[in-house]
Amino acid sequence: MQKKKSFYWLAAMLLIMSLFMAACSNGEDEAGAAEDDKKETEGNEGGEKAAQEGGTIVYALDAAPEGLFHWNWYGIQTDAEVLGLFDDNLITFDEELKPQPNIASWETEDNKVFTFKFQEGVKWHNGDELTVHDWVFSLETLAHPDYEGPRYTNVQTVEGAEAFRNGEADSISGLEVINDYEIKITFDKARVNNLLNLWTYPMNRKAFEGIEVADMEGSDPVRRTPIGTGPFKVNKVVSGESVELVANEDYWQGKPKLDKIIIKVVDSTAVTGALQNGDIDVVSVHPTIGKDVEAMENVDLVTAPGLSYYYVGFKLGKFDNEKKEVVEQKEKYADKKLRQAMMHSINREEWIEAFFGGYGDVVNRPVPTAHWIAADNDDLNTYPYDPEKAKEILDEAGYVDTNDDGFREDPNGDEFVVNFSHYATGNPTFESRAKALTQYWEEVGLKSTLEMIEVNQYYDMVEKDNENMEAFFGGWGYGADPDPSGLWKSDQLWNYPRWVNEESDQLLEDALDVEIVGTDEAKRKELYVKWQQIVNEELPMLFITELQEIYGMNKRVGGLTLDVSGFNSAHEWFVTE
Amino acid sequence: MLKYTLRRILGMIPMLLLISIVVFSLALSMPGDPFGGEIDPNNTDPQYIEEMREKAGLNDPVHVQYGRWISNFMQGDFGESTRYKMPVAELIGERMPNTLFLGITSLVITYILAFVMGMYAGRKPYTTADNLIGGVNYLGLAVPSYIAGVFAIYFFSFKLGWFPFSGSVDITLQNGSFEYYLSRLHHVFLPAIVLGALGTASYTQFLRNDIIESSRKDYVRTARAKGTPETKIYNKHILRNSIIPLITFLGFDIVTLISGAIITEAIFTYPGIGQLFLDSINNRDYPVMMTLTMMFSFLVLFGNMIADLLYGIVDPRIRVD
Repeated sequence: MQKKKSFYWLAAMLLIMSLFMAACSNGEDEAGAAEDDKKETEGNEGGEKAAQEGGTIVYALDAAPEGLFHWNWYGIQTDAEVLGLFDDNLITFDEELKPQPNIASWETEDNKVFTFKFQEGVKWHNGDELTVHDWVFSLETLAHPDYEGPRYTNVQTVEGAEAFRNGEADSISGLEVINDYEIKITFDKARVNNLLNLWTYPMNRKAFEGIEVADMEGSDPVRRTPIGTGPFKVNKVVSGESVELVANEDYWQGKPKLDKIIIKVVDSTAVTGALQNGDIDVVSVHPTIGKDVEAMENVDLVTAPGLSYYYVGFKLGKFDNEKKEVVEQKEKYADKKLRQAMMHSINREEWIEAFFGGYGDVVNRPVPTAHWIAADNDDLNTYPYDPEKAKEILDEAGYVDTNDDGFREDPNGDEFVVNFSHYATGNPTFESRAKALTQYWEEVGLKSTLEMIEVNQYYDMVEKDNENMEAFFGGWGYGADPDPSGLWKSDQLWNYPRWVNEESDQLLEDALDVEIVGTDEAKRKELYVKWQQIVNEELPMLFITELQEIYGMNKRVGGLTLDVSGFNSAHEWFVTE
Repeated sequence: MLKYTLRRILGMIPMLLLISIVVFSLALSMPGDPFGGEIDPNNTDPQYIEEMREKAGLNDPVHVQYGRWISNFMQGDFGESTRYKMPVAELIGERMPNTLFLGITSLVITYILAFVMGMYAGRKPYTTADNLIGGVNYLGLAVPSYIAGVFAIYFFSFKLGWFPFSGSVDITLQNGSFEYYLSRLHHVFLPAIVLGALGTASYTQFLRNDIIESSRKDYVRTARAKGTPETKIYNKHILRNSIIPLITFLGFDIVTLISGAIITEAIFTYPGIGQLFLDSINNRDYPVMMTLTMMFSFLVLFGNMIADLLYGIVDPRIRVD
C-alpha cells in the first residue's frame, strides 16, 4: 500500500515534469523559427526595400492599455496608439497641425454653420457603410446625460447640445442630416476653433444597438470586440498584454500590405533586448535609451518633432479656485530679471544631451516648433547659455553676495535660496536631472536646494499652490488646437505659475474672436506670435526643451513614416522578408 | 474541531473590520487622487475633473465615504475601478486565473526543488554537495526578484531564446486549443522559475534540518539496528515525519498563490493580480486597491487558520479545541 502511494506520487511528478519539458522544447522550435525569419532580413540593407505581400509586424507598447478601445471613452495615450491603427478620424492633421479632410471634407462661410461631406463607400469592419448617421449617433452619445467620459466639451458648442443633455430635446437641433453623406452642423455661435473643438469620431450604430449609454463604457464593442473604419480590424484582445489586428481588406484607402499587426505590452526594462533580438518591430523609445537603439544594426531610429515641452515654473501668486482669480502675489520670484538670469545660467543643450540623449531641442516658447502658430526664434529672446551675463543681470537686479558666504543675497540683504521641486516616480534619472539644474544656478551664485516629491502629491501641491512649492519642474503637451488659454489665462486653474498679465489675456481672447481675426490665419498667427513674445520676455516659466517623438523600427519594416501628427496610415506599412 | 473552526471564523470579523478601517484611512491619506497626477490638458479640463471627484464622492466627509464603502463592500459590491472603468470583481476575476496558474506552477517548482535538494542535503549533511546546496539557497534568498527577473529575461529569452519575455499567452493561437495551453505553460515557466527558485531556500533548509534532527532520533537507531536499509529509513521513516511541519506552510502558501508576485508579474508583463495591485497603487485606483488589500488580509487570516487546523490534523498531540 505504502509503496503504491509513493509510486503514484512519483508518476505525478514525472508527468508534470514532462509537461514542462514538452513546453520548453516546443518553445525552442518556435523561437528558433522566429529567429531564422529575422536573420534573413538583416542582410537586406541598402537600396530600396522591396515590399513583401502580407507579413506580420509586432508593435510594442511600454505600458499596458486600459482596454478602453473607443475614441469616445479612451483615457490614456497607450489606448490611443492602438485605436489609431484600427479606427480612422473623419478629419486629419498635416505637418503644421492644420486640419485636413480625411473621410469627411467640410465647407463653411461664417465659422458657425459647417457642411460636412463624407466619402461614399467607407465600410465599417462589420460590413456596414459609414454614414453621417453614425456621427450623429456618436455626438448624441457624448451629449447624453449618462455619458461619463470627458468629451462632452467637444459637443457642447453645437447648437441644442445643452438642451439635449438636460433632456429638453430628443435630438441635437444643430445636427441637420441632409442625406446619408452630408450633414450640416450649426454651432451656438461663430468661433475660430469650432471645427477643431468638434468631436470627429463616429460610432457604429449596429454594434452599440440595445446598449444603454451608461453601460457603453464597459460593453463589448468598447472592450472586447471593438470595431472601426481603419486599415486593420481587431481580431482578439488579451486584456493587459496583447491585441491582434488583422488587415481590413475593404479599407477605403486601399488594401493594407500587411496581414497582421500584433500589439504587445513589453516592460520598459525589456525594450532594448527585444528590439535587438527582432522580437518586436516598432516601439516608442524613451530618449534615455535612444542612443543604444540607434547603435543597433537591425534597427532604425525614426524621430519626429514632439508636442510636449518641459519647463521650470515659478509660483508668482496664489489662486482661488472659487473666485477663479489669482488673489495673492508672491514676491520671491517677482523680479523678471531674476528669472531671466536663471534662464541664462542653464546650459540647455548640455542638459538635453545628458538626460535625453540629445533627442530634444531647446525651446523658447510654450508652443512646439512644429505648430503653425509657433513664433520664429528670430522674434524671441533665445537666452543662450551665458553665466557671465546671468551674473551681470543678477548684480544689476541687486542680488549680490553681501555676507561673503559665496552665495548671493536678495536685494534686501536677506539669504536667498532657490527651493526647487521635482516629481519622483522611481525613475532614477529624475533626481540627477533636477540636481543638474540646481547646479547651474549655484554656479552663478544662487544657493539652491532640491526636493523630490512623489508624483501624485507633487501635482496636488502644484495645483493647490502649496507654500513649499516655489520653483517647480513640469511638462505640458500641446494639441492641434492652437489656443493655449486653458494653461495660460489668469483665470485658469492650470495656469500653474499664477501669472497675471492683462496684455496676454487680451491677446488670447482676441485670437479667438471672430470679429477680430475672422477666418484669416495670418492675422491669428500674428496675435499668437505677439503673445509668445510677451511670455518669452516675462518668463513666468523657464522653457527648457521640447522632446522629440522617437520610435525604434526594425529595418525589415517599410512604408512607415512619422511626423508631428503621428504615423501615416498603417495600410501603407509593409515588411521586407 | 468544528467548534474551534467556527470560533476562529467568528473571531475574524472584528479583525477584518479593524483592518478595513486601517486600509481605508491609509488609502485616503495617500497624496493625490485618481483624477489628479499627470494631466493631459488636451484630453480633459478642470470642470470635468471636479465633476468626477464629486461623482466618486471624494468631496464627502471621511466617515460618510467609509460608511458607503464598507456597506457596499459587505453586500459584495466592490465598486468600479476608476482606471479601467469596470467593476472591480470582474477585473479581479479576469486576472485571477493568470495569477493562480503562475502561483501553482511556481509552488510545484518550489516543492520539487526543495524535496530533491532538502532530502539530499539532509541525508549527507556537511558534505561539499550540502554546502553547495546551502550556498545556492542563500544566494536565491539574497537576490531580489527584480534582479533575478531581469537577468532571467536577458539570458533565457534574449540570449538563448528559450522562453518568451512577456505576456501570458501567444495571441495568435486559437483559444482552448492544445497549442494554446502549451503556450500558456511556456509563458508562465520563466516567471514561475524566478518566483519558485527564490522561494525554495526556506523549504529546503527546513527539510534538511528536520531530516538531520530526525536521523538522530531513537526510532531511527532502532530501525538501523534491525537492519533496515538506509534508503528505506530516509525515504520512509524520516521523510514522513519531516514532511509534517512542511504541511503547515501550505496555509501561508495560499496567500502567496492569490496575491501574486507583484514585482515578477510587472517585469514579465504578466497580467495578474500582483500587477493589478501595483497599477492600482500608482494610479490611486482606490476601489481596486482597497478590495485587493482586504482580500489579502482575509487570506492571511484564513491561511493562518488553515495552518493551525493542519497542525491539529498532522500532529495529534496538538489539540485545537
